[in-house]
Amino acid sequence: MRLPDSVTGSFLVALGAAAAYGGWILPPVPGQPVGPNVFPLVIGSGLALCGVAIVFGIGHSFEEEEELIPLEDGQAAAPPPQGRLESKLYGLRALLPPALLLFYVLAADRLGFIITAAIMVYVTSTALGAKWKLALPLAALSPFAIHLIFGKLLRVPLPAGLLPTPW
Amino acid sequence: MLKTLLDAFALISTWEVIIAMFAASVYGLVIGSLPGLSATMATALLVPVTFYLSPIAAIATIVAASSMAIFSGDIPGALLRIPGTPASAAYADEAYAMTRKGQAELALGAGVWFSAIGGIAGVLSLMILAPPLAEIALSFSTYEYFWLALLGLMCATLVARSSPVKAIAGMFLGLLVSCIGIENPGGVPRFTFGLTDLFGGIEPIPALVGVFAVAQVMRAMLTPEPPPLPRRKFGSIMAGQWKLTKQYHWQMTRGNIVGIIIGVLPGAGADMAAWVSYAMSKRFSKEPEKFGTGHVEGLVEAGASNNASIASGWVPSLLFGIPGDTIAAIAIGVLYMKGLNPGPTLFTEKASSMYAIYLMFIIANIMMIPLGIVMIRVAAYILLAPRSTVMPIIMLCCAVGSFAIGNNMFGVVTVAAFGVIGYVMEANGYPVAAMVLGIVMGTMVEQAFVTSLIKSDGSILPFFERPVAAILAAMAIGALLWPVMVWAWRKVKPAQTAAAASR
Repeated sequence: MRLPDSVTGSFLVALGAAAAYGGWILPPVPGQPVGPNVFPLVIGSGLALCGVAIVFGIGHSFEEEEELIPLEDGQAAAPPPQGRLESKLYGLRALLPPALLLFYVLAADRLGFIITAAIMVYVTSTALGAKWKLALPLAALSPFAIHLIFGKLLRVPLPAGLLPTPW
Repeated sequence: MLKTLLDAFALISTWEVIIAMFAASVYGLVIGSLPGLSATMATALLVPVTFYLSPIAAIATIVAASSMAIFSGDIPGALLRIPGTPASAAYADEAYAMTRKGQAELALGAGVWFSAIGGIAGVLSLMILAPPLAEIALSFSTYEYFWLALLGLMCATLVARSSPVKAIAGMFLGLLVSCIGIENPGGVPRFTFGLTDLFGGIEPIPALVGVFAVAQVMRAMLTPEPPPLPRRKFGSIMAGQWKLTKQYHWQMTRGNIVGIIIGVLPGAGADMAAWVSYAMSKRFSKEPEKFGTGHVEGLVEAGASNNASIASGWVPSLLFGIPGDTIAAIAIGVLYMKGLNPGPTLFTEKASSMYAIYLMFIIANIMMIPLGIVMIRVAAYILLAPRSTVMPIIMLCCAVGSFAIGNNMFGVVTVAAFGVIGYVMEANGYPVAAMVLGIVMGTMVEQAFVTSLIKSDGSILPFFERPVAAILAAMAIGALLWPVMVWAWRKVKPAQTAAAASR
C-alpha cells in the first residue's frame, strides 16, 4: 500500500479544498461574526497547503531515518509471492479485517452474536495460517468466552439472533 | 494534605480497585509481551471495560496496564530481537546481544528494575510539577489555551520520526475529523452529509481502537509469523541489579529526567523517550564502542526513560486536557467519561482522586517487580500462542468493544474505517499519533480559537497581548518554523563544505 507522495499529496489537496468549501457554504450564525465556518476553512486551507508541499517533495529528506526503524523484525522480509497478479491479491488480504467488521455490522442483528463472531474468528484465523484443527475449536469457543465477559459480566446488549446463549 | 492522602487511600483500598488493578496488570504484561500488540492498543481495548467500573477503578486499570505493557515489551525484545511494543524497539538489538552472550537474566532484570524506578520517578515528577502548574493555569484565558493547544499539536509533529510536513498534514486530518457533528460554535450540523449517526461526531475511542488495533491486524495479514521462543532456564533475575544501580546511577537519573521531559511534551511518548535516551547514553558513554555488542548501559538509561514518560505524560493531560502521548489521549477520554474533566480545578476540587492516581502509579510500579519476574519465567509459554489465535480474539474485542461504547453499530463502522485510514497512513509515512492528537484536541482547539476571535472582535492583536500568551505564541511559532530552519541549515551546510573543498 505504499503510494507515491504525489498521489497522497493530491488527495490531501482535494480533501482540504473540499473541507474549506464545505466550511464556506455553512450558514452564518446571526449576530455572531465568527461562526462554525471559520475552523473548517482554516483546517482545509492548511491541509491543502500541506498536500501541495508533499506533492513537491518538501520535507521528504526528513523521512530517510524512518526506514531504519523496524517496528517488527522481519517486516522488511515479507514473503515474495510469485507473479505480479498474485502479489496484488496478496496485498488485498490486508482489507480482510475491516471487511469482517463490516460483515459483523450487517449480519450480527440477524445471525446473532455467537454465529457472526464464530465466522469472524474462523476466517481471521485461517487467513493467518491456522489449520482447521486449530481454527475450528477457536471459532467454537472464543465467542462464548467473549460473550461471557461482555454480555454477561459487563451487560453489553449483544444481539441474540438465531442462537441464544445458555445464560 | 494528610486528610486528602487518607481519603485517597480509602478510595483505592476497595476490592474493586485491587482486583481491577491486578487483572489489568496481568493483561498488560501479556499484551505487551506479544510482538505487534502495543501498549497503546492494550489500553485502547480496555476502555469499553472501564465503562462499567467506578472512576478510580477505571483509571487504575489504565495506569496498571500501560505501565506493565511498556516493561513487558522488553521480554521478546531481549529473547527474540522482536520488540513487543515500539517503546522497546530502541534497545532490542542490544538486549538480544546480551542474551546471546548468556546474560539474558541481567538484560531482563535491568528491564524490570529500571522500569520500576523510572515509573516511580515519573510519578514523583507528576506530583511535584502538577500542583504549581495548576496554580498558573488557573489564570489562563482562552488565548493562552489556544496557544497551548497549538503548541501541543506542533510538538506532536516535531517529534514524529517522519517528514514534518506529513506530520502536520496528519494533525490537520485529525482536526478535520473533529469538525464532524453538531458540537461546534454554531450548533449546526457540519460535515454530517445528512447521516444522523454523524450528528454526534466521531468518538475518539473507536477511532483510536481502529488506528491502533485493527490497523495492526491488517499489517499482521501481510507479515510473516515471528519465530517461536526457545524455552530456557533462567537464573536469578534480580541478581546484580543493585550493583548496576550504583554503577550507572548517573545514567539512570539522566534517563529518568529525559523520559519525564519527553513524556510532558504532547504527542511524544515512551517510544520516543527510549530512542532519545539510548542515543544519549551512547553519545555520553565512556565506552561507546561497547554499544551494540551486549552492553547494559544503554538498557539502563532507555529502560529508566520509557517508563518515566508514562507517568509524566499525565501532567498535561490532567492539567489542560492535552495528551502527553497516545496512552494519555485514551486516559483523557476515560477521565471525561467518569466526570473527572481535566483542568486545573481538578487539583483543588478532586484532590483526593489525584492523590489516588499518584498512589496507584506507585503501587503499579512496585507490583511490576514481582509480577515482571513471574512474567519473564512464563513468557516462553505465553509466546507459544500463535498469532492466528491472538489476532481473531483482538478482532472480536474490537467489534464488541466499539459497539459497547455507545451500544451502537456505528461504532463498529468507525473502527473499521479508522483501521483502513491508520493502515494507509502508516504505510505512507504519515504519523498516526499526530492525527490521534488532532482528533482528541480538535473541539478544544476550535472552542478556544473561536471564543478568542469573538472576544477580540476579529482582531489578531489580543492573541499576543497577555504576557503568558505571548510566550506560548512565540514557542508555538518557533515550533512551526523549526523544520524550515533545519531544512535551510541542511541546504546551506553542503554548499559550504563544497565551497571549502573547491578552495
